[in-house]
Amino acid sequence: MLIVNLIRQDFLKNVRSSGFYKNLVANIFYGLMGLYFLAIFLFIGFNLHKILLESGSHYNPLLQICGALFYTMLTGLSFRFMMQSLTTFNLPPYQVLNIKRSTLVHFIILKPLFNPTNYLTLLIMLPFAFKYVAVYYGAFEAFSFVWVYINIIWFNSLFASFLKRKFGPSFRNTLILIVVFGAIVGLEFFKIFSLFNVSLAVFSFLVLNPVGWIVSLATSVLAFTLNKWFFSQNYYAETFNKFASKSKAIITDFAFLNRFGIEGELMSMELKLILRHKRTKSILYMTGFFLLYGLIFYPQKIYQEQNGTLFFVAIFVTGLAMLMFGQWVISWDSSHFDGLMTKNVTAKSYMQANYKLLAAFAIASFVLTTPYFLFGWRIMFMHITAFLFNIGVNIFVLLFFSTYNTKRIDLSKGSAMNYQGVTMKNFLVQIPMLLVPIFLVWLLSTFFSITVALSVLSVLGITGIVFTRPLINACVKQFQDRKYILAEGFREGE
Amino acid sequence: MIQVSNLQKIYNGVTVVNIPELTIASGESFGLVGNNGAGKTTFFRLILDLIEANGGEILSEGQPVKRHDEWKQYTASFLDESFLIDFFTPEEYFSFVGKLYNKNQGDIEAFLETMKDIFNDEILGKKKLIREYSKGNQKKIGIAAALLCEPKILILDEPFTALDPTSQIRLKRFLSEIQEKTGVTMLISSHDLNHIIEVCKRIVILEKGNVVKDLTTNEDTLKELETYFAV
Repeated sequence: MLIVNLIRQDFLKNVRSSGFYKNLVANIFYGLMGLYFLAIFLFIGFNLHKILLESGSHYNPLLQICGALFYTMLTGLSFRFMMQSLTTFNLPPYQVLNIKRSTLVHFIILKPLFNPTNYLTLLIMLPFAFKYVAVYYGAFEAFSFVWVYINIIWFNSLFASFLKRKFGPSFRNTLILIVVFGAIVGLEFFKIFSLFNVSLAVFSFLVLNPVGWIVSLATSVLAFTLNKWFFSQNYYAETFNKFASKSKAIITDFAFLNRFGIEGELMSMELKLILRHKRTKSILYMTGFFLLYGLIFYPQKIYQEQNGTLFFVAIFVTGLAMLMFGQWVISWDSSHFDGLMTKNVTAKSYMQANYKLLAAFAIASFVLTTPYFLFGWRIMFMHITAFLFNIGVNIFVLLFFSTYNTKRIDLSKGSAMNYQGVTMKNFLVQIPMLLVPIFLVWLLSTFFSITVALSVLSVLGITGIVFTRPLINACVKQFQDRKYILAEGFREGE
Repeated sequence: MIQVSNLQKIYNGVTVVNIPELTIASGESFGLVGNNGAGKTTFFRLILDLIEANGGEILSEGQPVKRHDEWKQYTASFLDESFLIDFFTPEEYFSFVGKLYNKNQGDIEAFLETMKDIFNDEILGKKKLIREYSKGNQKKIGIAAALLCEPKILILDEPFTALDPTSQIRLKRFLSEIQEKTGVTMLISSHDLNHIIEVCKRIVILEKGNVVKDLTTNEDTLKELETYFAV
């Protein structure tokens, strides 16, 4: 079948791109991460019915899931709307071949359905269906449950692509989505309107009634038809790829940075770089999301005595943004590095601009995480220490070692999940920055006290801050030593 | 202005640039020709301190360029797209470059007005990012940004390729005018022998990294070049 053939070619395109093998180490690492999540999902899946039985709800686990399905659907839809990249299939070489347009359109529409990541949550639902639904209801209901769930995935993927093609993933649309979602949760919370009950009624009917098989499939078909309609309205690639390939030039200006002269210009350039590329934007979203990481640890009693763990969380939430952007702080500029190096920018002002940018990230993260102070004095002092350590020690480690990332990063190519430029070194750099301070805190708080531990780290951080000038100069010198190697690495394409 | 002495660049055992002695005087228009792999771009990159020479040195206004930043204040260049910041709009890019050379918004606008002919209404006010422009228009943006700096030394690598015929002719005229008016030292490389002898008063042929001919342009130069390359 032609569609299968096209999908195979698309797969080959990915595997045969030279970057795939160059980043083998990174790929293996992400593969292992993937396995880890697979295991967690399966574990949740096998225990879901037990968890739900103990939840205190007066509905049985299947009905609880049914009630949550609309929420799952909405969450999935918004995530896909924000993250799922549209199939930007390279049409022209195929358009001139003897392939029917409708085949190509079907391929573009259906391709997301062949992406395994879409089916990850099935790893939770499948074990649940077999361990609970099949046992307490019967095989028919179990199959029917899985079928309905698969159709939700299909509907979501197809409908998200449609919305994205039609309306574009603009900031405003994302905001609308969040507001609508928030409103629904609010109504539920204040018991004005319960989507849970609607969802319960709809989905328990679909799962327990044979008609559900047809109805759920019909929704997927409906989403598919919507896409077909869109493509019939927009015949040529330039119109239907309007939002997939064209970036609408958002002319934002960071006027407040103009006062800082050349360094301000460079910083506002870096900020624009971050806001105008998918990969950097997704890192920004991710770090924003991980600011909430503390909520998992701080409220729990068992962590109260584990200073090492708590400090890890503190340094993580206050430093993640700096860490994520800092490692590639020079590589981000790889596609215009030659240009920058020949313009009226001294090595010193370039490195100083990078330093200030990272410091700004550290300060912003610290300020944004101040609400954690509500968890007590210890957390507050940990955050302050972590901040001092980040801005006094880690920032220079980052600046210094960023000169070793000589792989070109082509931000204009590829999507949010583009790991170009990620090498083993990137993981090695994290060790001194995360593990050393955590180890110190653990060691000192075990043998002396947490006060001693935090004081020692704070002093280290303050020392770094006091010696900012010579430390930056050392980084500048390092940069000058590495400049030619960097420029050459960045010039090399994939 | 630019003095080269014993300059050598070796890649994997192959000497790609080997210039024992070369001086480019202030206000000279210096044309560099040579087949692919002759070392033209490498030579320009050495002048711009983007690669490290294996031996010898380059002085710009008496100061070594290597590891120094002073030359950047009066040198402008456009070698390839990596000199552009492709996620900027042209307007943002011009204002970014202008600010680096202490130009205010008024200076920048006045300069862009003089580029009107070359831009041909295809560059400004399009609300597009530079990466969405065609190769030819990207080249125009890069060359314009280099000129915006009001440099004393201007280095352009194959400025005419990828431009449409009208733009080539306009650019040629513009470069000659600027050279006459400001006395800028120009270093231009090109594969188009006609264009380069029209713009440059001195032509140097590079072959495998060596200077094989150093000519002052006159009416016989084109013939001489054509005979040289017709092997």
